Formats: sequence, structure tokens, C-alpha cells
Amino acid sequence: MKNPYEVLGVSPSASEDEIKAAYRELAKKYHPDKYTDSPLADVAEEKMKEVNEAYDEIMNSKKSGSQGYSSSSYTNTSSEYYNVRMLIQQNRLDEAERILDSETGPDHKAEWYFLRGMCYFRRGWMQQAVQYFQRACQMEPNNAEYRQALENMSRRQSYGFGGYNTAGAGTQSDCGVCDICATAMCLNCLCNCCR
Amino acid sequence: MFGYIKIYKNELLVREYEAYKSVYCGLCKKIGKDYSFISRMLLSYDCTFYAVFLMSLKRSCSGFYTGRCRFNPFKKCSYCECGGDALSKAAAVNVILAYYKLLDDISDSGFFKRIVLKIIKPFFSRPRKKACKKFPEIDRLAKEMLNAQQKTEKNPDCTLDMAAHPTAEFLASLLESEGCGNDGRIYRRIGYGLGRFIYLADAADDYEKDIKSGSFNPFKPYGDNLAEIINNNLSSSLAMAYDAYNLLNLVDFKGIIDNVILKGLPTVQSEISEKFEVKNEKSV
Repeated sequence: MKNPYEVLGVSPSASEDEIKAAYRELAKKYHPDKYTDSPLADVAEEKMKEVNEAYDEIMNSKKSGSQGYSSSSYTNTSSEYYNVRMLIQQNRLDEAERILDSETGPDHKAEWYFLRGMCYFRRGWMQQAVQYFQRACQMEPNNAEYRQALENMSRRQSYGFGGYNTAGAGTQSDCGVCDICATAMCLNCLCNCCR
Repeated sequence: MFGYIKIYKNELLVREYEAYKSVYCGLCKKIGKDYSFISRMLLSYDCTFYAVFLMSLKRSCSGFYTGRCRFNPFKKCSYCECGGDALSKAAAVNVILAYYKLLDDISDSGFFKRIVLKIIKPFFSRPRKKACKKFPEIDRLAKEMLNAQQKTEKNPDCTLDMAAHPTAEFLASLLESEGCGNDGRIYRRIGYGLGRFIYLADAADDYEKDIKSGSFNPFKPYGDNLAEIINNNLSSSLAMAYDAYNLLNLVDFKGIIDNVILKGLPTVQSEISEKFEVKNEKSV
């Protein structure tokens, strides 16, 4: 197993607050909600697990109360397309698409559009994915799952020039030793200028 | 479709900017050494980013040294050294892509331009042959990309996603080969997002020209709300690359890569979409 301090990116002498802050930062970074539908969801989950274990281990060794973290994963138990869902989750997109496309006829169900869109999304074909998700939502406006998928898409579409700043703020806020040195150097330069 | 993966210089730290420049110069020198003096002039920012990214993944940057620039002997430059094959790979990608870009241009252009391009072709094909010997896999991927691209553009019901697929797939496969297991999958996703972004940004940039000359453009069917479609697709491609990139824990050159993804590419996007927004206002 990896060194828990390395996983969290803190020094072994870090205070409890620092550890908690680092943990929170990482939990935000790998949060499963950010990776719902993504083909890398399992990787994010693994990382999240690693972070959780590291955090628990450090906290246990510090003999203080440990804090659990429940990850929510999306599963739909009763579904006509259960096998397709499984295939999509395992990233076996060709097989999933083959099953979906073998269904002929113009009157597909909303779930069909949703899953077809999901295949496109996982391939990175965003334009098509949006169109299929929209279709699914039009057919069943009250379905939370379809709406969620469409909302996730529109969140990604608004990652524009402005939106990125807030998204990246968490990752940029880490203040390392180098930053402190750099700041001190800049300050020094400024002071020299005034003389 | 070159030169879209840029840094946003204003937001880089000075030391990061210097590191970036020395990778650029180091790559330029490497191309001169491995190929020819003329190939050096074709160095693109995209390949510089590719070199930075590879060196960061492999942690293979082994230091910097100063030397003289071949183009300006009075200037002293800092050059980056690489312990692995990142620089030679990036150099190979650069000359191979330049060659296939030329082939594509030859098939697209008119009679006189075609003759000119055919005359300069040997300057491109010789380095490419050399690079092909070193990295046959990269050449195969690039050839596949060009073939697939020409095929999809001839397809009458080619969608936007289909048109972007060959370029995205090229970069995805190129990066995927750098890692195995989960790492490979993450690199693949980053490559797909970036490749898609480059293709669509280039297509949006050339929109006016393509419409005038009647050539293929994936945004053609979306004449009404062009600005929105362009922005949505560029943003979601970037988001895809960024979400995957967040799963990596890079150390070397992290500031530069963050800058490119979070600042440089969105700047390119806003520059391109501005063109369309201005146009819309005029027409109203």
C-alpha cells in the first residue's frame, strides 16, 4: 500500500487541520458526481477510495475520530436494458451499440435514446449525445436520470473561458514552498526597485 | 490545424515561461539534429505541448543548458535536456504531421498552388521517411487519420462528431500508447478531448473561408445558432480532457500544463467565438 501521507500530499508532521483540508481538496477533485457517466468513473472511484483509506489510516493513527465518506454510484436495478447498462458501465460500447441498433422501428423508448446518448457520450461524441439526451428528456420529462445526464452535459458545455476559473480555483489554491519563495523573491525585486 | 494548443503567457510564472521556452528551443534543436534545418521552421506549439506533457508524464526532463540559437547567433537560449525519448518523439510527430498536412493541402488546393506544393514536397517527405523508420507506429496513426478524414468528409451525412473523430482518435491513440491500464485510459480521454478541440477550433476558424470556397465544414448545417454550437462543443471537449487530466498527479511542468488547459485553450476558444458573436450583431 502507498504511503498515506503521500496520497494526501501532506508531510507526516502536518497538523490535523492541514490533513483535513488536503483531504477535502482531494475529495472534491475526485468526487464521483464529477465523473458520473464518464468512462473514467471507475478510476476516479479508485482514487477516491485510496484517498479515503489514507485519510482513515492517518486519522486512526492519530487516535482521533475518523470520518467516513459515502460515495454515491449510479445504478438502476430494474430495467429492460439491464444488459446494455452493464455493457456501457464496462466500457464495452461496441457491443452495447450493437444491441441498441439491432432494435429497429421509429418508436424507440426514452430509455433507448438515453442509453444511445450515453454510448455517444462515452465515445466523446458530445453533439450527438446532447441530441439523444434531449430526446429522452422530451419523452419523459420527469425522469431524474435522464435529466441528470442532460444537466451534466450542459454543465460541461458551459466550461467556458469564465467558467473555468471557478472550476480550477480549487486546484490552484495550493500554496507550496516554491510559491512562498517566489513571492519573497518578487517582493525583494520590488524593494530593490524603490531604492 | 496547427498551433491551437498554446500557453496563455500573461498568467504563467516567469520560471514556467522560461521552462516552456527551453522545451521549445530544445525541440527545435532536436529536429535540426534528427532531420533537417528546414524542418526546424515547421515546429508547432502543439508538438511543444506534446513534448512538455510527455516529459511530465515520464518525469524525464533532466535539466537545462544554454547555447546559441541557429536562427539568431547573437541570442543565447536555454535548452531543455531530456533523459527519455520525449523530445525525439515530439520531433517525429512534428515532421510526420507536417508531411501529412502537406498531402492534405495538395489534394485540397487549386492548380497553381498544387504545383508549388509539389515542388516543396521533397523537403517534407525526406524527414518524414526518417521519422517513420524510428517511430513506425506514429506514422501509421497519422496515415490512418488522413485516410479516415478524407473518407468522412466525402460522406454526405457526416455529423459534427464523425468529422472530429479522426483527429481526436489520432491524439487519443498517440497518448494512450504512453501508459498501460488505467493510466492509458486517462491519457486516451485527454487526447480525445484535446484532439476534438483542435479539430473543431480549426473548423470554426476556417468557417468563412470554407463557406466561400464551398469546401467541407462540420458546422455548415448549424447556420442559425453557430456561436452557441461552437462554444458548446469546444467547451465540452475541453471539459472532457480536463476531467480526465484531473485524475493524474503530475508534478513536473504542472503549472504549464494547467495554464494551457485552463487558460490557453479557453482563450483560443473565446477568440474564435468572438468572431461569430460580432458577426451576429452586425447582421442584426
